[in-house]
Amino acid sequence: MPALPVENVDGLIATGATARMTDDVAPRFRPGDRVRVRNINPTTHTRLPRYARGKMGTVEADRGVFCFNDTNAHGEGHKPQHVYGVRFAARDLWGEQAAARDTLYLDMFEDYIELHVA
Amino acid sequence: MPAPHTDDIALRVRAIESLLVEKGLVQPAALAAIVETYETKIGPHNGAQVVARAWTDPAFKARLLSDATAAIAELGFSGVQGEDMVVVENTPTVHNMVVCTLCSCYPWPTLGLPPNWYKSAPYRARAVIDPRGVLTEFGVELPPEKEVRVWDSNAELRYLVLPERPAGTEGMDAAALAALVSRDAMIGTGVATSSSGAAR
Repeated sequence: MPALPVENVDGLIATGATARMTDDVAPRFRPGDRVRVRNINPTTHTRLPRYARGKMGTVEADRGVFCFNDTNAHGEGHKPQHVYGVRFAARDLWGEQAAARDTLYLDMFEDYIELHVA
Repeated sequence: MPAPHTDDIALRVRAIESLLVEKGLVQPAALAAIVETYETKIGPHNGAQVVARAWTDPAFKARLLSDATAAIAELGFSGVQGEDMVVVENTPTVHNMVVCTLCSCYPWPTLGLPPNWYKSAPYRARAVIDPRGVLTEFGVELPPEKEVRVWDSNAELRYLVLPERPAGTEGMDAAALAALVSRDAMIGTGVATSSSGAAR
């Protein structure tokens, strides 16, 4: 890997590298959907915080299609998929000690969640 | 394990740096340019301009809340660790606070590099389970009826808090308002007041 030349620094900083992808992938979830975070425990790279595994949340926003870190980190492809802003009630995560109104938001790759059928 | 002494870390970083340079993986001039950029050009004063513009320009605020990346780019701020931005608005009923429990994700183009406490294990662990306790330690007391929303930036989105405009600032222009917007207010561990400043 060649070293970053000084003349490229400004351009690199100003541009960055988005993980957003242009692939036309249909979303599996919609805002308002109740979802459960899958209880998966990869020993490899993941962006799924352990405290959310198995918890119930509500899809609040579709953030668009992104490269999936869990596979890309290991050279196993981009696996482009929708990422959703998912809202959790603080009490669903932490129990009764949490304030009743408080909430927590995570960005969930599609592979992390499944539709909850009541 | 106790945290290594800062001097030990500095020594280690110097050793790693000289190795990287020796092996030709890093150009010292490029490294110096990056450090200089984040020391002098890119920092919370950028984010403060975004906030002040939103406080004074309702159309900009609407764009900021619907497509933050594009709206922030209007002010010339874009790039590394700000490629996909989300701005969350504090209101009389909602207080937002940002953390990255997995590492230290942070919106660099608007806030610069994260402070050490943001990267520390205690902040990352406690901000999610006890946000009100953490806020109290930052001097922020919120009424129980206000909803605290914690944003754990676990994926590729980066979050910036739009603080509430302080009372008593009605006559101020954007430049004067920007001086009231602290870094912590844009992380959500602080609030903007009519006397707060970007120094913090």
